Amino acid sequence: MNDDKTIVCRCEDIDIETIRKLIDQGVTSLEEIKRITRCGMGPCQGKTCGPVIAREIAMKTGQPMEEILSPRSRPPFGGVLFQEVLEGIDDEE
Amino acid sequence: MITCDLLVIGGGPAGISAAVAAGKAGLKVLLLEERERLGGQLTKQTHRFFGSVAERAGTRGIAIIKDLETVVAQLENVEVSLSTTALGIYEDGVSTALKSGKMIKIKPKAIVVATGAFEKFLPFENNDLPGVYGAGAVQTLMNIYGVLPARRILMIGSGNIGLIVSYQLVQAGAEVVGVIEASPKIGGYLVHASKIRRLGIPIYPSCTIKKAFGQDRVAGAELVRLDEKWKEIPGSQFTVDCDAICLAVGLNPLIDLLGQSGCQFKYIPELGGQVPIRDESMRTNVPHLYIAGDLSSIEEATAALLEGELAGLSAAKQIRPGQSLEARIEEVKTHLRALRSGPVGEKIRSGLSKLTGEALPTPSPRTNAIDELSRTGIASPANLAGVLPDEKRKKSRAYAVIECYQQIPCDPCVHNCPFGAIKPFSDINDLPIVDFDLCTGCGQCIGRCPGLAIFTVDETRDGDRAKITLPYEFLPKPVREEMVDLLDRSGKCVGQGVVKSVLNTPKQDKTTIVTVEIHRNLVQDVRQIRVVQKS
Repeated sequence: MNDDKTIVCRCEDIDIETIRKLIDQGVTSLEEIKRITRCGMGPCQGKTCGPVIAREIAMKTGQPMEEILSPRSRPPFGGVLFQEVLEGIDDEE
Repeated sequence: MITCDLLVIGGGPAGISAAVAAGKAGLKVLLLEERERLGGQLTKQTHRFFGSVAERAGTRGIAIIKDLETVVAQLENVEVSLSTTALGIYEDGVSTALKSGKMIKIKPKAIVVATGAFEKFLPFENNDLPGVYGAGAVQTLMNIYGVLPARRILMIGSGNIGLIVSYQLVQAGAEVVGVIEASPKIGGYLVHASKIRRLGIPIYPSCTIKKAFGQDRVAGAELVRLDEKWKEIPGSQFTVDCDAICLAVGLNPLIDLLGQSGCQFKYIPELGGQVPIRDESMRTNVPHLYIAGDLSSIEEATAALLEGELAGLSAAKQIRPGQSLEARIEEVKTHLRALRSGPVGEKIRSGLSKLTGEALPTPSPRTNAIDELSRTGIASPANLAGVLPDEKRKKSRAYAVIECYQQIPCDPCVHNCPFGAIKPFSDINDLPIVDFDLCTGCGQCIGRCPGLAIFTVDETRDGDRAKITLPYEFLPKPVREEMVDLLDRSGKCVGQGVVKSVLNTPKQDKTTIVTVEIHRNLVQDVRQIRVVQKS
């Protein structure tokens, strides 16, 4: 497999070679990989790449998927404009 | 701040069902749906649903959603907010959502989250080429917008989604070059597999994709065979030409909103991956927070409808105690258990036992052996022999051949025989058995079978002519006295026949019932016709 042509994160265009190299270097949590590569920070918020990267980590480290995948999502779900937040506040006066 | 008794997030089958159940119990319900129409995945399911007639089996998904929309509209205490995206569930019980450019706040007494699932992605070389689609996108383009995404499609995954979308692609006029499956046996219902095999679509078990070819878009794919340990067999690569690759490799529950709320999860691959922990009433560890549908475990829409109702009723019982909802709650739980009780429910049952820590309920007869049918989707002579009448009976009257060999939760055939010739089920997973003393070969059952697995044969006349009646869901429709190609279970043309009748009234609901006169020797081979296009 040509690892640099195998895309893991479509939103941020990250290939599997990048991910595998990081795991080999000891970067073995979704959170760290996210901060280094921006994987999971695009419009889909890691729904596409998360399980794929988690499986890579599990295969290389033997860590159970359950521990790798602990979700740390925070509101809001998806992008919101400040204007949209402000419009909502006006409604309550 | 908007207040209500119950907030339902997600307007697919589970969410609608929850809103309706709670609404009927007198709750003030607000139902949020991200899209401009209710229905979720139902809006693109043009096939007939499996399951129990009580849960609308035998009806197309697109018809079910029309019914549900009517029911919702009749409930004055259920408000539907379309084009509304839920943004957050906060610890103080307030939820936020985006509607018409405003972030609105909602304070409900309870919440049912029914956000469904997200398609899994597959890493392979050049998987970012234009022409690599998710099966959901292909269905949306075809069945909602009337756009054909490609001409020659390779399907990855033989679960029900992969099989159904392949069939629908052919209905839409595309060619499916093959369905590949990493596992040694077909993942979806075998009746769906048989439907596409007789259209000539090959299924490759123990096979995966290595890479996509193409400069600016998909032009082909390299595939490789897998051994019994799912390792690539060296030198077994082969290529196919195609202009699209459709991924139907499973779904992950869409848990993001719940992750915000303090809900606990468990990783259970049998249920689709990371799933919320919940009890049998669909309540999570967070008080007043319920879940339903694919979010709780990846299953068929029938299960989503039932889980939604259960969540809605459970929430109603919690908010307004004292109502007599208990009987229906138990009934729904019983239906769900029945639905999952057969061999195809084994995966879900094992997943649920991991979730609740309960021991597995009554084990069903195991059908683990990988027989010819589950590898190919083509019934063997032994399969067929088990469903045919004896030679004397064959000559005396027309008869039905029900090619339903796999126990799946489905019962419309039993309820649609005017002569009661299909023996009543004791379990929804039973296989249909025809009582040939009662069967007249009338063919009423043909169009009612969601698997299109029923045919009637008439070999009562002397001479070499016989008749077969079969379901047909393609365009153009054949016309009387037209010569059509006769296809066998693998899609091979085995001869020609003359169309003797075409039944296509609104009652058939687009499953045309076609009777063809064919050679007597072919009655147990022909299972599909092809209208010969005149140039």
